[in-house]
Amino acid sequence: MHGASKRRAGLRVGHSRFRAVPALVLAVAIGPNFAPGPAFADAPAAAAVPVAAAAPTAAGVPALAADTVAGSPTALSLTVYRAPERSAGSIDLDRLGGFALISETRTVHLLAGVNRVRFEGVADGIEPASAMVTGLDQGVIEKNREGRVLSPAALVAAAVGRSVTLLRTEKSGKLTRTAGTIRSDAQGGVVFDTAQGVEALRCSGLPETFSFTGVTDLAATPTLSVRVRSSRPVTRTVTLAYLAGGFDWAADYSAGLSADGKSMDLGAWVTLANGNGTGFPDAHTQVVAGRVNRESGEVEPLDRGGPILAQCWPRGSTSDSPQYLQMARAAVQGIGQTRAFKLMMPASAPAPLEEDMVTAAHRVEQETLGDLKLYRVPEETTVAARQSKQVRLLDRSAIPVSFVYGADLAAGEASQTAATVLLRTMNTRANHLGLPLPSGRVAVFSLRDGRRLLRHESDLRDLAADEEVEIGMGESPDVQVLADRDSVAVSNARAAAIQFELRLRLPPGARIVRADHPVGAKNGRPIFRLSIPARKTVTVRYQTRAKVH
Amino acid sequence: MHARLLIAGGFLWLGLQSYAAAERSLSVTIYNDDLALVQDRRDIDLKGGRQRIEFQDVSAQIRPETASLTAGDISIVEQNFDFDLLTPAKLMEKAVGHEVTIVRVNPATGAETREQAEVLATNGGVVLKIGQRIEVLRDDGLPVRVIFDKVPENLRARPTLSVTVIGAHAGTRPATLSYLTPGLGWRADYVALYDEGNGKIDVQGWVTLSNSSGVTYDNAQTLLVAGSPAQIEGGVRQPMVYRGPQPRATLQQAGTESGDRERLGDYYLYPLADRTTIANLQTKQVSFLDVHGVPAEHGYEFRNRWLGTAETPQSARSIYSFSTSAHAGLGDQLPAGVLRFYLRDKRGDPQFIGESRIDHTPMGSTLSLATGDAFDVKVRAVVEKRTRLSTFDWRSDMRYELSNARPLPVTVKLLQEGLWGDARISAESQKSTRRSAEAAEWTVNVPANGKATVTASFDTRY
Repeated sequence: MHGASKRRAGLRVGHSRFRAVPALVLAVAIGPNFAPGPAFADAPAAAAVPVAAAAPTAAGVPALAADTVAGSPTALSLTVYRAPERSAGSIDLDRLGGFALISETRTVHLLAGVNRVRFEGVADGIEPASAMVTGLDQGVIEKNREGRVLSPAALVAAAVGRSVTLLRTEKSGKLTRTAGTIRSDAQGGVVFDTAQGVEALRCSGLPETFSFTGVTDLAATPTLSVRVRSSRPVTRTVTLAYLAGGFDWAADYSAGLSADGKSMDLGAWVTLANGNGTGFPDAHTQVVAGRVNRESGEVEPLDRGGPILAQCWPRGSTSDSPQYLQMARAAVQGIGQTRAFKLMMPASAPAPLEEDMVTAAHRVEQETLGDLKLYRVPEETTVAARQSKQVRLLDRSAIPVSFVYGADLAAGEASQTAATVLLRTMNTRANHLGLPLPSGRVAVFSLRDGRRLLRHESDLRDLAADEEVEIGMGESPDVQVLADRDSVAVSNARAAAIQFELRLRLPPGARIVRADHPVGAKNGRPIFRLSIPARKTVTVRYQTRAKVH
Repeated sequence: MHARLLIAGGFLWLGLQSYAAAERSLSVTIYNDDLALVQDRRDIDLKGGRQRIEFQDVSAQIRPETASLTAGDISIVEQNFDFDLLTPAKLMEKAVGHEVTIVRVNPATGAETREQAEVLATNGGVVLKIGQRIEVLRDDGLPVRVIFDKVPENLRARPTLSVTVIGAHAGTRPATLSYLTPGLGWRADYVALYDEGNGKIDVQGWVTLSNSSGVTYDNAQTLLVAGSPAQIEGGVRQPMVYRGPQPRATLQQAGTESGDRERLGDYYLYPLADRTTIANLQTKQVSFLDVHGVPAEHGYEFRNRWLGTAETPQSARSIYSFSTSAHAGLGDQLPAGVLRFYLRDKRGDPQFIGESRIDHTPMGSTLSLATGDAFDVKVRAVVEKRTRLSTFDWRSDMRYELSNARPLPVTVKLLQEGLWGDARISAESQKSTRRSAEAAEWTVNVPANGKATVTASFDTRY
């Protein structure tokens, strides 16, 4: 049957990517949900069942001249976008909330008349509404995405009301074949009808199964197809572009602090991941930084299929405890769609701890895409199914940095906290930076006896050129902040002087009327910039007044 | 075989008859809001007198109260929608009190023993009465086949609509069954390719219809209606759909032009040219718009909420705006849907830059759509000072720092929202326009790789 359909189509069956997708989309329909054209008049299954005469009449849907599978994809291009709601931090391989634009070219052969061209091996997470097919010079009549895939349950569902052969193996090992008709597959139970009467599948205790005589038009994976009209037989190279979920990327920075803590080296990787079961060999790969709008689209209907459940009547026996009943009724889950990452790799992909300087040729190249930043992987690369991949983003050295200690306090409230520490620099050319820094996670290391030690890890948002860069370094227990009603004492137990920023929150309309240190303003809030000598305490006293006219 | 089927409960009764004879003609009218009107025209064969006609290939989500069968010379007695489904458990349950045949095969000899048994109960397990013995079915775990004589009436593989009619005389005549069903819906999907150099867009429009109603509509004449007829809640098994917050209005100016699209009342109609088969769980797209070289503008917008202050600069939104008018725009009204923007990268490949939802848009309108956040254009809004002028009056001094890391100057539409109508701008560094009582707007030019600052003082009550 398989061979026959290939022959009828007269065209080669495309090969899927290195994922083992059998080219199982066959041409003959057993259901009325497919309009067989005259080309299929010799289909052996069609004549067997009277109801199959329900095939639509020739008056409406134009008969298909050819039903072909587009050739295997070439010139793949993959552009990965971040999860739109994540503004900082690294990716989560268990929940890849980003998406990708996939574009590929395929060769299709069209006959004169209406052709159906199927694109197999597209990513599982395809958003069918986003698919674009270009290169077919005559009009595409319609694009379809079948939500049903070939599964045992789908086979039974398609065969309801139709002839099947029941295979039953007796205890003696004898195999009997009985012609019958499937009467129902409602709610997971299968009822069929033979010349002997009505029976239920797999309720007798004998191994029973069906042999289906027709073949369905169901594909192994959700398949995109287009109907296209052609005036003559032609061969075309078409481009298919679509958005698909199950991707994500982030930048993973690692900063190496110099021994004196006054400068750092910054390196970064682009970490991108593909959670789809489809791989993209030798693809032009890009990642895009910046938040793009996504609309919470309607969920496209999809039936992933399932096993033949063959649920029976109650099968309790006299020796069962009552709990058996509930177990028997427990819902049987379909084939899960969960991604098996946990089994395949650790749950997060940290930046490699040891930095190898990468030559410039192997770094991604940045370009501007409208208001977004596009990073191009210089060479074609293979993004395999369920894989995370890292490509070098940048390497910069001798970036001047300063440690800034600080505290955010509500004015007039007593509290005691450890100071927060920030590593601050400017993203400028003078600082050997001055380039867009996509959001991600930054790990800060120090050197001790020639070995790298992790100091802190924090998240970084998207930073444009010439913006201030602040890398959170956690809290310092050496610098304690003790606030009272009208004073704040900052004590420094470190062996060196520190810069300290005391930021106060005032009630609306209130202002500082008197203080024993110079008061500045940042973001509309009063700020004291203090220098605190080694092993000393500095106390700031201030007085506020709520202005009442 | 066929005779047997007919005896066994009239299961495929009409199926066989109408299918075999039918010149079936389906037409489907699909509305935006998960609603469709199905009209199923076929020849039915009447015997004359009272009879039941079953339609089992209707939508599984049919609203049975809306079904109506019209045919010449018949009167309808009643309509039933049966959703008691045929499962092994139901089959056994309905056999309680009736005889079934049980078949045992001797594993050693292969000899087959058949006995008649009465089903006594199916609670937890099946209790049978065989002659004078009472047994539990397959209590010993050995294989026992149970054969039922027939499928009880009213048990079906699929929910079935049946109509009891009285026909005055026998004969074949055309009949039309029409009903409303959820599970079929459509929306529009647009693809817009923006040409940065020339400030033009190419827009393609597709209607995307999807079918999750449980059946396939073969060879159907399909009509799409842009608009949502009122539906009474409760009558429809409609899932609650969270459509997300509406962040900003996309329609800048409502159009007043009329196209040549077919209309029905206030709805626009989009008939599909060819008959098409809408398979169950299928998503189908048909092109309806393809326009090239429409002028479009690209700009930036930043909206600050009242007293919004930011520790770090926030990205401005990237905005694309264009017209749907006939002379300088798309020249069509746009059904509601999602518009996806693409832009060519340096290699010339289109790349996705964001999408935006639009509502039903009349022709001649101006649309302004946000595609996402600008990486390089940021705004930091800061409440500099709040001063109490009197018991109820406050002055709020705002500072907006705009920065542009692009090598080109940009223009940012800066909006301060939440003015509530009673706010007065007592001082500002550049002139604002009051777009509404609610918002003030500044058009700020930010130089290439530079900064700009806007300050304003708002006098408000409370």
